[in-house]
Amino acid sequence: MSGPNGMLYGGDEIGALVFDPGHHSLRVGYAQEDTPKADIPAVVGVGPATHIPNSEEKVPDGNITQTGSKTGSELRHYIDVTELHVPRPGMEVQTYMKDGQVDNWDLFEKMLDYCYSKVIRSPSEHHPVLFTEAVWATRPVREKLAELIFEKYQAPAFFLVKNAVLVAFANGKSTALVIDAGATQTSAVPVIDGYALVSAAARSALGGDHLVAQAKLMLNAAHIQMLPIYSIQSKEVIRERERARYTLKSLPAGLTQSWQQYMLKRQYEDFCHCIAQVSESAYDERTAASVPGVHYEFPGGYHQDFGPERFKLTETLFESSLAAPHLACAAAAACDADARPALWAGVVCGGGGACVTGWAERVARDLAARAPSSHRLKSHAAASLAERRFAAWIGGSILASIGSFQQMWISSQEYDEGGKGHLERKCP
Amino acid sequence: MADILDILDIEQPATEISRDSIIHGDKNKKKYVTAKAVKRPEGMHREVFALLYNDNKELPPLLPTDTGKAYKQTKARLGMRKVRKWVWAPFTNPARKDNAVFHHWKRASDEAKEYPFAQFNKQVSIPSYSESEYNQYLKSEDWSQAETDHLMDLCQRFDLRFIVIHDRWDRAAFRDRSVEDLKERYYNICSILSKVKTNPWSNTVTMVNGEKRVYHYDAEHERKRKEQLRRLFDRTQEQIDEEQMLLAELKKIEARKRERERKTQDLQKLISRADSGTITPSTPTNHNTEPPGTPSSMAANMRRHDRKLHKKKITTQQRPMRAVENVTVEWSGIKFPEARGTGVWLRSQRMKLPPGVGQRKTKAIEQELRLMNIDIAPTPTEPICKHFNELRSDLALSIDLKNALASCEFELQALRHQYEALNPGKTLTIPASICNTSVDSDSKPVGEIIDVVGSPGAMNTTI
Ligand SMILES: Nc1ncnc2c1ncn2[C@@H]1O[C@H](COP(=O)(O)OP(=O)(O)O)[C@@H](O)[C@H]1O
Repeated sequence: MSGPNGMLYGGDEIGALVFDPGHHSLRVGYAQEDTPKADIPAVVGVGPATHIPNSEEKVPDGNITQTGSKTGSELRHYIDVTELHVPRPGMEVQTYMKDGQVDNWDLFEKMLDYCYSKVIRSPSEHHPVLFTEAVWATRPVREKLAELIFEKYQAPAFFLVKNAVLVAFANGKSTALVIDAGATQTSAVPVIDGYALVSAAARSALGGDHLVAQAKLMLNAAHIQMLPIYSIQSKEVIRERERARYTLKSLPAGLTQSWQQYMLKRQYEDFCHCIAQVSESAYDERTAASVPGVHYEFPGGYHQDFGPERFKLTETLFESSLAAPHLACAAAAACDADARPALWAGVVCGGGGACVTGWAERVARDLAARAPSSHRLKSHAAASLAERRFAAWIGGSILASIGSFQQMWISSQEYDEGGKGHLERKCP
Repeated sequence: MADILDILDIEQPATEISRDSIIHGDKNKKKYVTAKAVKRPEGMHREVFALLYNDNKELPPLLPTDTGKAYKQTKARLGMRKVRKWVWAPFTNPARKDNAVFHHWKRASDEAKEYPFAQFNKQVSIPSYSESEYNQYLKSEDWSQAETDHLMDLCQRFDLRFIVIHDRWDRAAFRDRSVEDLKERYYNICSILSKVKTNPWSNTVTMVNGEKRVYHYDAEHERKRKEQLRRLFDRTQEQIDEEQMLLAELKKIEARKRERERKTQDLQKLISRADSGTITPSTPTNHNTEPPGTPSSMAANMRRHDRKLHKKKITTQQRPMRAVENVTVEWSGIKFPEARGTGVWLRSQRMKLPPGVGQRKTKAIEQELRLMNIDIAPTPTEPICKHFNELRSDLALSIDLKNALASCEFELQALRHQYEALNPGKTLTIPASICNTSVDSDSKPVGEIIDVVGSPGAMNTTI
């Protein structure tokens, strides 16, 4: 941290952990690393612990957190893809998130147990914990989280930061207009000197899940069936657009609706990640047709090229008045006039939704058309997709390993003395 | 010894591996016998020549390759000392009030000292007041004490970032207030307290010549400014277009008016001439195209002439052996453009460097400003704008001149060496009048030594 000539460099690592809970996944890892250690789906499978459905499945190892003894009536929690993506009768998929915040604390505890035992593999008492939160996080949720971290996990220190602020930090800015496109939400938040302007933030429910729903509609309309991948035993190689030939697997009875839907949603997401692209300007049949198509093979073996549909699909993200550029304009307009030039000069995009090909370019373009012409507009998004997707986590990783940040943590001593009252004061 | 063997291409006995041979090993081995240098043809640029002939006479590759020896060169400096140990050690941070203990990596040999990052713990000092002080001095019809307390608390928490304070204002408990309201109240409290309290505790008080000066916040002016700013930003594209259209129309009308006036004048002249009976054959178009003798075109001619002369002067000075590169300062100062006719604009616009100024020059100017301890983006009041632009223009000129001087000096030295090489045993004494060191003692201004096309004064008056 200090160089040979007495220069003081910025970093000092104290073994902190960074958690970034989202609707799509929970990102967790050590501060000062450049990507999270794990990106775990933000759902928990809850099912009876009794049976082992088929021979391939190993005896459950530590990936399963056990509640109580191994009697048949107990429920078990299945976390992360290797456990969750196995067909099990009676396993319901539940999410612990609601409106960008943790809602079901029992499930969330299971998730944290899993993180500590399988990802971090180190006792929780050794690591200060930094959590990201939505800009609109409510006081009870924040206090509950602090309570959980200090009382159950005995963490030495805790801190909460708004994810928009971290996205700005990850892009090397302390003042920025942050557009964060998540799974269920898209938000635009002005950040001034590392503080999010809460009252000026704008958000809409037009996120990645919306795109998935659109993809479902599109495939239905084209009469293309998305077969669940776990139900396919084998498939034959066929020519493009030919009828699929496959044999089905025999599945255990009693697969729950929620699990099947969850699995299908993952497949639609994959479809979106592969083919969706945002056109440079408003959708136009002819320009879209001139772009070469993208090939996609469905689980059943059916495959075809997708052409202009790829652009039509994403257009719904930009047509409505709740699209990202509109949100950004609304957020900037709600700010004090003195702050606006700096905000427009630093528009930053982050989140999984910003990974769709062409998304950031389109936002920049739409903003250029909508933003007041008296401002210098500069939009920015990390070049690598991983950096875009994990922007909030990376910002947390940077912040938690800055030397001068180490005085900001709420320590367990402070928590013991002042209780939850500290939270509002110390984590703005 | 090894070098001689190398040159004579005699196999060297294998040396034992030592630290030196690891680090400098390939330097010793690779010695290329360089071919006789091919002479550069007259008039060919050095860069072009270098493309055709390099030292070992290889043709340059047609495709980019990465098989060169660039990656083979060992950069690693292999230390032979023992590594120093690091330990995961506890530390306390004096910037924290709770003495919490965290752990970090540190060198085992480093002695314990204060946590280095604690020095960044800076706090804004916010005035405080007691209950009685409030009642005595700070009472206000508009503000309750609870609200004032809330304001001071937020000021402390957000280090006087009033935009953030405004954002986090407790709107449930108190009524919504504008940023200006908050600032007005805060600075008001500061000034009252600084009058009644003796110690100068706050950053709003500065001592000038032993006299207390308190920052005065002009809320009315700020409100007006903010309102204007807001209106400027909130203009829609249609409004901007309309304004531009109207301005263009206005110009047209004015032009037409002038035209009409001119015509009446012409008519008047013709009439008066007709009256006096002497009609000259000159046509009215004369007024449009300037006859060649008008002062402005004459000046332009002279300029051109000047420049030609100047060029000639330098070419005649050329030495036969070595082409002296012409050193001319072609461009001087910065010409800041008049604000373009887009209707309303911010004055800060005037301080923008014109796009013609390159990145390097901008950086150089900023560096100079920093050396002089001048803000690179000062508050753009009318006089500051003017002086700041003049200053930067002068700086740009001075940078140009410095560069020109440096290259002249280089030429001079090169010529001296050349002279000495051609006339062995003789030394060339450079007359003091053209030597750089003498310039300082001489009171001769630099402008007289180096020709500057267009004087800085001329540039500045056009701003
Ligand atoms: N490479 C990608 N291309 C397109 N969409 C992606 C990509 N990666 C993730 N997404 C989408 O981004 C969303 C997840 O974004 P994320 O920021 O992780 O959400 P959250 O913060 O709510 O967990 C999902 O809807 C997912 O489909």
